[in-house]
Amino acid sequence: MTDAVFTPRIDAPSFGERLADALLSGRGIWPAVPAIIVLMVVAVIPFVILLSLGFSDIEIARGDIVSQTFSLEHLTKALTDPLYWITFQRSLSLAMSTTVLCVLFGYPVAYLFLTGGKWTKRLILILTIAPLLTSGIVRTYAWLVILGGRGVVNQTLMGLGLIDQPLRIMNTHWAVLIGMVQIHLPVMILPLIAVMSRHDRQIVEAAENLGASRLGTLRTVILPLSVPGIGTGAALVFTLSYTTFVVPQLLGGGNYLNAATMIYEQVVFSLEWSKGSVSSLLLMVSCLVVLVAIALITNRFTRWTKGREA
Amino acid sequence: MRGLRRQSLADTIAIGLILAIAVFSLVLLVAPSIIVVMISFDTRAFVSFPPEGFTLRWYWEVFQQGELVEAMLNSLQVGVTVTVLCILLGVPTALACVRGKFRGTTALSVFVLLPHMVPGIVLGVAVLFAGALIGVSPSIWLQSISITVFILAVMVRTVQSRLMRLDAALDEAAANLRATPFQSLRTVTFPLLMPAILAGAVFTFVEGFDNLSVAIFTHGFRDRPLPVELLSLVQFTSSPLVAAVSGVQIVLAIVALVLVSMSIGLDNVNE
Repeated sequence: MTDAVFTPRIDAPSFGERLADALLSGRGIWPAVPAIIVLMVVAVIPFVILLSLGFSDIEIARGDIVSQTFSLEHLTKALTDPLYWITFQRSLSLAMSTTVLCVLFGYPVAYLFLTGGKWTKRLILILTIAPLLTSGIVRTYAWLVILGGRGVVNQTLMGLGLIDQPLRIMNTHWAVLIGMVQIHLPVMILPLIAVMSRHDRQIVEAAENLGASRLGTLRTVILPLSVPGIGTGAALVFTLSYTTFVVPQLLGGGNYLNAATMIYEQVVFSLEWSKGSVSSLLLMVSCLVVLVAIALITNRFTRWTKGREA
Repeated sequence: MRGLRRQSLADTIAIGLILAIAVFSLVLLVAPSIIVVMISFDTRAFVSFPPEGFTLRWYWEVFQQGELVEAMLNSLQVGVTVTVLCILLGVPTALACVRGKFRGTTALSVFVLLPHMVPGIVLGVAVLFAGALIGVSPSIWLQSISITVFILAVMVRTVQSRLMRLDAALDEAAANLRATPFQSLRTVTFPLLMPAILAGAVFTFVEGFDNLSVAIFTHGFRDRPLPVELLSLVQFTSSPLVAAVSGVQIVLAIVALVLVSMSIGLDNVNE
């Protein structure tokens, strides 16, 4: 009976515990099943329905679909409608310029993060993460205040005597672009910082000890190593700025139509289901195409730098 | 020597320029929020800069407006619901992804990430249409479950990355001490996962509270969430009232930031 001394006392497991054991001990897929079911019902099935609505002719009576027949009519209509082309082009160029500007303004911050001391690093992290926890509408509203007729920019310029009358910045393409860049900048900086902190600062010191200038080190060592971070950040910024409607709606003055605001109007105001479905699908597919392109370019440059290392 | 010095001068200028842009970007990140907070104390009834005087009138008025308070409570409810659902669905899923010994763990991880890759408005439109087809009209619950599906990936990823760094030997030790799998999960793994779950909870709560892209299509017409209410308020109000609402949200963001830095540390937000 010496065994009893060494055996830890374990209370008899309850039914719930035994059930949990049965589910967990197999290390099977069971713990994920609830999530899978929810994702199927709330994401996969709705998406299939969206697809079917985009490719069919529907008749609606009292909120119910009476008949649904396969048709490419809405797709071809959309693809031949100049309004669609203009709108998607505008969204695309806006999102692309936002992405490029975010790289240009975000990269130096990541460089400062890499070369800076402990407190610089901490400050950069706080200033980057805090906006992500604040609502996009709040951050856009700030730009209404800054760029408006009696806003910060106009008051300052008039105070300095540079202009007599307030400049009209609000409700222009520029206001939308400025807001877009500022709002999506943190999303660009975070992946860059992640990639930078993965590499040892000693790499930089080694390059400088070997006689490389700081600019040379940046160009030949740091930049090539941070290509994946630029790719991730660019993909995130592009997706968000391509599909947002807060900034265009608020800073563009309501008549700045991009793909997202167009979808909103089709779905919520004019209740055109098939049109809305087709626009949503086009938005997603075009977004995907650009993301693949970004991934390919990133990959290519990563390989190019690896080739140079060898 | 001259050549070398000239090169180093160019070097200094270029690096100086880069650092100047960095400082400019950092100011750009924070300045708008500071200006909004300043405006929220302005005594005048229109938005102008620089503000004059100091009053808490607008903060008082925020809480006098029934619609705004209701919208805040609605968003609070959505935030809590989304967070609870994400913990209940996401933590077990992360366990299955990392510890599971079945074929398709990678496929499972990718599958969970997919809804987060789809633009929010596409998911919102899809859920709205699908709901209408089966007779589920937009409501605070439809909004909550849709945002849950949209943001679940963040919870799974946060817990997953923590789980991958845990030593598997801890679990073996527990098993050697005759702990059942559930006991070892509850007493060993779970406490170690708490920081990651808390950090994930902060992000899912903020998304539930602030999300507009999914919410605008799925929210109930009587329970308007704060972002939807704010969007119309910003467009049709010119008083510093919106600045005061923003001030409240900025305080909430600071609380969230402190929570994140205490749970997993700011450096690990990326993981």
